This record gives sequence, C-alpha cells and structure tokens, in this order.
Amino acid sequence: MEPHYNESRQLTFHGEGAKLFGIYIVNILLTLVTLGLYYPWAKAAMLKYLYEESELEGSRFTFHGTGKEMFIGFIKAIGIFLGIYCILLLAILSKNVTIMSLGLLVFYGALLVLIPIAIHGALRYRTSRSSWRGIHFGYRGDRKEFVNMFIVGSLISIFTLGIYSFWFIIELRKYIFKNLRFGSLTFSYEGDGKAFFWLNVKGYFLSLITLGIYSFWYFKDLFAYYVDNIRMYQGEQQLVFRSTATAGGYFRLIAGNLLIILLTLGLGTPWAIVRAIRFVFSNMIIDGPLDVNAISQTEEDYTDATGEDLADMIDIGLV
Amino acid sequence: MRNFSVRYHDGRLSVAHDAMLTLMPDHWLIHYVDPSEELLSVRWEIAPIVTDESFTGLFIFRYGDFPQQTIECRETELPVALKERYPEKVFFRKKVTGIFRQSNATIIGLAVLLIALLAAAYWFLLPVAAEAVAATIPRSVEAKLGDAMYGSMITGYEVDEEMTTRANAFVKAIDFKTAYPIRITVVKEDDVNAFALPGGNIIVFDKIVTSMKTKEEFAALLAHEVAHVHYRHSLRNIFRNLGGLLFISLLLNDINGIVTVLADNSNMLANLTYSRALETEADQKAMAVLQSDGISLKGFVDLFNLLKGAHGDAGSLKLLSTHPLTEERLDLAKAKAREQVGIKDQSELQRRWEEIVIAGKK
Ligand SMILES: [Zn+2]
Repeated sequence: MEPHYNESRQLTFHGEGAKLFGIYIVNILLTLVTLGLYYPWAKAAMLKYLYEESELEGSRFTFHGTGKEMFIGFIKAIGIFLGIYCILLLAILSKNVTIMSLGLLVFYGALLVLIPIAIHGALRYRTSRSSWRGIHFGYRGDRKEFVNMFIVGSLISIFTLGIYSFWFIIELRKYIFKNLRFGSLTFSYEGDGKAFFWLNVKGYFLSLITLGIYSFWYFKDLFAYYVDNIRMYQGEQQLVFRSTATAGGYFRLIAGNLLIILLTLGLGTPWAIVRAIRFVFSNMIIDGPLDVNAISQTEEDYTDATGEDLADMIDIGLV
Repeated sequence: MRNFSVRYHDGRLSVAHDAMLTLMPDHWLIHYVDPSEELLSVRWEIAPIVTDESFTGLFIFRYGDFPQQTIECRETELPVALKERYPEKVFFRKKVTGIFRQSNATIIGLAVLLIALLAAAYWFLLPVAAEAVAATIPRSVEAKLGDAMYGSMITGYEVDEEMTTRANAFVKAIDFKTAYPIRITVVKEDDVNAFALPGGNIIVFDKIVTSMKTKEEFAALLAHEVAHVHYRHSLRNIFRNLGGLLFISLLLNDINGIVTVLADNSNMLANLTYSRALETEADQKAMAVLQSDGISLKGFVDLFNLLKGAHGDAGSLKLLSTHPLTEERLDLAKAKAREQVGIKDQSELQRRWEEIVIAGKK
C-alpha cells in the first residue's frame, strides 16, 4: 500500500521570459564587447534571477555567488584547458606515432580526472552559494573518493561497452545525494541500477519501433525515475519526491521550446528556459511532514568557484 | 522616523520573522515578535551591511560573519529613504547591469542593437577577419588544402590526358611571375568553365578550349586564373564563406556542421563567385603578365567576346557565374590592347597551342 501523506509541497517559479530576456540581452552584449571575459558575471546574473524567482513556503531562494568569485575560477579553468589542449596539439604536431598516442592518452586521462573534479567543485560551490531563509545548502562529498569512484566507474563502463554505465549513473546519484545538505536536512537517492537499466532498454527499443513517438514516454519515465527516488530527511521524518510529469506535458515542453528557439534564431532562449523550469517545478511534489521553521544552519563557508567554470567548459549541466 | 516591514532571518534557523526595520541615525534596528511571543530586537551597525545584487523587486541585505543574518524587503521607497538617511554610504551601486530594470522600450532597443551588431559583424567584420586569417595560412597548408580539394573533385570528372599534357607544356612557355607551381588539368565537360584551386591547380573544361580561336585567348584565360591563385582569391573566398558558417555554427552551437561541409563541398567551394574587385585585380595582374611576356592583349578582348557570345546561345555558362563579366572589364581590355606596344614573336607558343588544338579534335 502507498503511504498516505497529508502534507505536500511544491516549488513555484515566478520568473518571466521578458524579464529574463532583459538580463540575457545585456549579458550577450557585454560578453561580446569584452570578448568573453564578462561570462562569469553574466552567469551570476542569470543564476541570481532564477533563484530569486523560485519560491518555497512563501520565501525565495537566493544565489549569492558573485561574478568576481566565478571569474577567478573561470581563469583557472581556461588555464587548465589551454594546458591540456596544448599537450594534445604538440603531440599531434610531432608527427611521431608514439608521441601522438601518448599525447592522446594524456589528453583523455586528464579529461577523465577533470570531469569528476569539475562536478565536485561545481557542487561544492553552487550549493554553498545557495540559500533559503538564510540557511545554506552544502555538499560534503570527498573529492578524492569521488574522483576514484568516477574513474573506476568510467573504466568499467568502457570495458562493458556501456552496459555498466546505468549502474554507474545510479551510483553517482546516490553518492551526490548522500552528501547533499540543506542546513540540517539530509537527502538520499533510492534508485537501483538494474531497474534503471531495464527502463532504458525498454525506452530505447520502443522509441526505435515507434519511430521516436515513444521517446516522450521514455523521457517522462527518466524524469520520474530521477525525481521519485529522491528522499529528504528531517531528523527521523522522511519526505518523498514525486513526479507528475506526463508524456503529453513533455511533448508540449520540447516541441514548444524547439519552435521558440528556432523561430527566434536563439533569441527566445529565455522563454524556453522559463518554460523548462516551470515544467520541472510544477511536476515535482514533495510529500511528507516538514517543519519549515526548524531547519538549522549546519554548513560552513566555501568560496572556490573553479569547479563551476570547469563544469561549464566540459559542458556539464547542473540543476 | 520611517519604518519598513521586512523579513528577518537570523542565519541559524529557517524561521522567517515578519519584522520592522527602523532606520536609526547610526544603526538599523530590527524588531520582531518571536514564536514565544517575546519582543526581540537586533542591531545592525551601518558600515558592515552588505547589499545583495538583486534582479527582482526584492531588496536583500546581509550582516555579520558566517552564518550571516539577512533581511528581505519589498518596499519600493526603501532605496530613497536609505539615500536620505545615510548619504555617506552607497547601498545601491549603479551598474551596467541595471539597464534591464529599465523600460521595455530600452530592452527592445538593446535587442535590436544586438541583432544589428550581429548582422554588421556577419556582413562586414567577418569577411575581413576571415580574409586576414586566410592571409596568415602558410603556403604549405594552402597547398595541402588545395590538393585535398583537387583529389576529391577530380574523381567526378573524366580527365583528357592528351590535352592536359599539351596544356601544361603551353604553360611552361609563359612566365606567370608567381611562386606557385601551376598545374593544369583539362577535363571532358560540355560546359564553358575553368577554375583555380588554392595552391596552383587549375581545372579547365575542354569545351572552353575548343571554342577558342587563338593562343592569346587561352593565355589570357590562364593568366587570369593564375592571378586568382597568386592573390589567394580562391582561398580567401573559401574562408569568407566558411567564416559565415563558422559564425552560424557558433551561434547554434554546432561544430560538426563545419567539418561536414568541408568534406562534402569542395566542388561548391571551388566554384564560388569572385567579387568584382577581385576580378579586376586578377585582370590587371593577368594583363601585366602577358604585357611583360610580349603576348598580345587582344586575347582578353577575344576571350570576353567569346564568353559574351556563348552566353547568348548556350545559356548555361558556369564561367560567367563565377567570374562576373562586366562592360568595364571588356572596356579595360580593349583600352589596354589598343595602347599595347612591344609584342614579341610567339612562334613557340603558337606551336604548342596548335598541339592542344589537335589534341582537342581527337
Ligand atoms: Zn576570375
């Protein structure tokens, strides 16, 4: 029998495409004029706006990272990437097969290490800079442990031709949620590699057979598998996340956003972002008893933003 | 004294206290009733108060060491009151980013400005930048690129070996005054066309050769194509066009597009239309070359007339679509031919031309 909860909560998003567009346009202009150097400030402005328009229990979220903090990380990230690309380029220019394969090995090896470092750093920075009612989020994962786990998981995934990657993804989610904090609230992820694997197999083949039509149900299932397995704990109390997304809803979101972006040659992106966030927030319900006045501050201060920008360069999206 | 209603967070617990903010002369006083109905007040000194950059109508202030206390206020009169009360402290810095808090008209204006900037960059800045990049490409890379294009194109044609050999012998008899190694390939194609690839390869359709009456016409055509090679017109054209693609690909975040285009479209890239300025430059160089070699410039006049005439009846004439023929070009050729002095004996060139003609009749 399904547990019955009398208490349900939802995040609400008050953002408007037109307002976000204002920020977006200024960001693009300044980023162009400064040859890209404005990017960290642009990103900070977007995040601040999106957080401020997100509401829970009558209070807005805040992002208090600054462009300056992220700029330092941005420069470091560029330096690291220039470094490893230089190695690759020099190896290729050497025209020596041994040096070339060695260069490639170093390049992919560096990427394999950099990706988890970037995810870790981005999680640390982003959570430490996010708060609600003055209570900070936090991420307590251990970098070394995470990097080891990531490298081992990636290698097994490669050797099993990708099959293990489904178990790997679930492992990563479990680790991240286990170490996520919102003040005194803790989290966990209850997904299971096998179930996730079969969900993907089913979704993939049905999408193939139905010429892609099933893919909207597939995406809906993936979203639901992510959301439904999130748990949040306040002391002994457990709260459960629940997805209400439908395939039709997914179709409207994807088709609408594609049209918006294509017809405006990308200028409509802010409206697409707003629609996507609305979709996620309105389809995610948190069930269970929560004392919203009793979350206490537990996390410490943290200011290194390198991961945030590294993650951007490898194109890793974080919510 | 002015009071503002605010929400106060003490930084230790997630309680949102509905509080009153009173602006005292040298500090802020925040008073609220806590859940146990006790009246509490907090004092904030002015100097350490930090204003959060905000993008909505919400004003957020932070105070103290971590974990910081915060207050949030929605009252629009607050900034003015703060300015009056504490003229020596700046709470709200004017920032460039403040623009978007302006009217819709400003935002639309900015959007239009952005589109105009992008368009200007695309039409004016990009070609210049692409050509500048093309100019820095070393000759060895240019040769490689040209060879790759030649290799992928030539498979689509049937090469006339005999005419090719003869045409290359013809080329040897003229000093084109360029460091590029000029190699001609004559292909069997029922169209009047010729084009130059980066690095020195020139592909000539046999129909244009068999339509010619004199060696001077062929020399004029080759000199013109060689001038395109010499000034890297073809390379610059390719970069100009790929530049636009690169730009659009960047906008749409699609890098694969460029690679695909490079691989699949060498034929199209070699047949790009030259601008009038490039045509004139090529004509001038070509005429100077023939002039100093003592070859009659009447070849240009005849070549242009041939193209004009063929255009009338044949209809499909690719050469004119890539090398636009204008009255000015024809007039220039006529004038130069009239002024020309010092035409030398060209019996060796004539002999080689006749061999081409014979090969063309086979
Ligand atoms: Zn031309």
